[in-house]
Amino acid sequence: MALPDASHFDRLVALLKQKRDNVTFHDIIALAEISAQSLQSFFQALDATLYRELREIARYIESMRHEIGALQVNDLKNSRIPAAGEELGAIVRATEEATHTLMECAEAVMAADASDPAAYKALVDEKMLVIFEACSFQDITGQRIAKVVETLQHIEERVSRFANVVQAKDLEGFLTESERARAERREKLLLHGPQLAGAGVDQSKVDEMFA
Amino acid sequence: MAIDMSMPVLVVDDYNTMIRIIRNLLKQLGFEDVDDASDGSAALSKLRAKKYGLVISDWNMEPMTGYELLKEVRQDPGLAKTPFIMVTAESKTENVIAAKKAGVNNYIVKPFNAQTLKTKIEAVFAES
Repeated sequence: MALPDASHFDRLVALLKQKRDNVTFHDIIALAEISAQSLQSFFQALDATLYRELREIARYIESMRHEIGALQVNDLKNSRIPAAGEELGAIVRATEEATHTLMECAEAVMAADASDPAAYKALVDEKMLVIFEACSFQDITGQRIAKVVETLQHIEERVSRFANVVQAKDLEGFLTESERARAERREKLLLHGPQLAGAGVDQSKVDEMFA
Repeated sequence: MAIDMSMPVLVVDDYNTMIRIIRNLLKQLGFEDVDDASDGSAALSKLRAKKYGLVISDWNMEPMTGYELLKEVRQDPGLAKTPFIMVTAESKTENVIAAKKAGVNNYIVKPFNAQTLKTKIEAVFAES
C-alpha cells in the first residue's frame, strides 16, 4: 500500500518553522491545503489497491458460489441422500424378511414328523420352493445397493472436485459434538464393529488366547 | 463336568435373527430352557430375577453393551460365577484381551457354526 508523499510533509514542516510566532487564519488554511494534498496521493493509491483487492475477493466469492452450486447440495440433501437412506432401509427389511422366511422353513422341516415319509417329503419339497423364492431377495437388494453406490459416487465426484478447486485442507481432528460423543463411547467400550476379512482376529487366534 | 441340559440359558443380542439362530442351535444341542434379552440392561434384570446356568451375549448393543454386562455380572456377588460366553463380530485382539480380563469364559467370533458353539459351551463347563 502507498505511503503519503514525504515531500508534502517537508513543506508542512517548513511552513510551521517559518510561521512559528505569528500564525494567521490564512496560514491555517494553507496548512489544511498542504495536509489535504499530502493525503490525496495516499488515498488515491489506497483506493486503487483496495479496489483491486475487493475485485479479487468478489471474483473468489463468485467462483465459490459457482463451485458450491456445482456441488448441488440441495439435490443431495433433499433428494439423493434421503433416497439412498430409503434404499438402505428397504435392503434391511428385505434381508430380514428373507431370513425370517428361510428360518421359518428350516424350523418347520426340523420340527416335522418324519414317520410318514411321503408327507415328510411333500413338506420338505414345499418348504424348499419357499426357500428358493425367498432367495430372490438377493437380486432386488443387489439392484438397490447399486443405486446407493451410484449416489455415493455422485457425492464423491462433486466433493472431490470442490476440494480440488478450493484447495481444501482438512482441519486436523475436527469432530462435531455428536461425532465426538460417539467416538468417546466407541473408545471407552471398545466398539469396533465387524472387521473386514483378514483384518480382525479369527476364531483360531481367539482360541489360542483362551488356551 | 457334565452339562446340565435343563439349565436355563440367556441369549443376549439386539438382532432377533441372531437370537433365533442361537436359540435353534441351542435347541439342537439339547437345551430347552432358553430366554433372550435385547441388550445388557434387559439381560441384567433377567439375570437378577432368575438363575441362569449360562449367558451367551453379543458385545455391540445399546444402551448397555455385552462388555458392560459382563463387568456388571462379575461385580455382582450373586451373579459373579455365571458362565459367560461372548459371541460377537468385535474381533480385534484388544477386544478379546479386554473381555478375558473382565472375566469372560469364552469368546466366539461371528459368523460361527453349531460345532463352534457346542465346543465352546463344552469347554466352559469342562473348566468349571
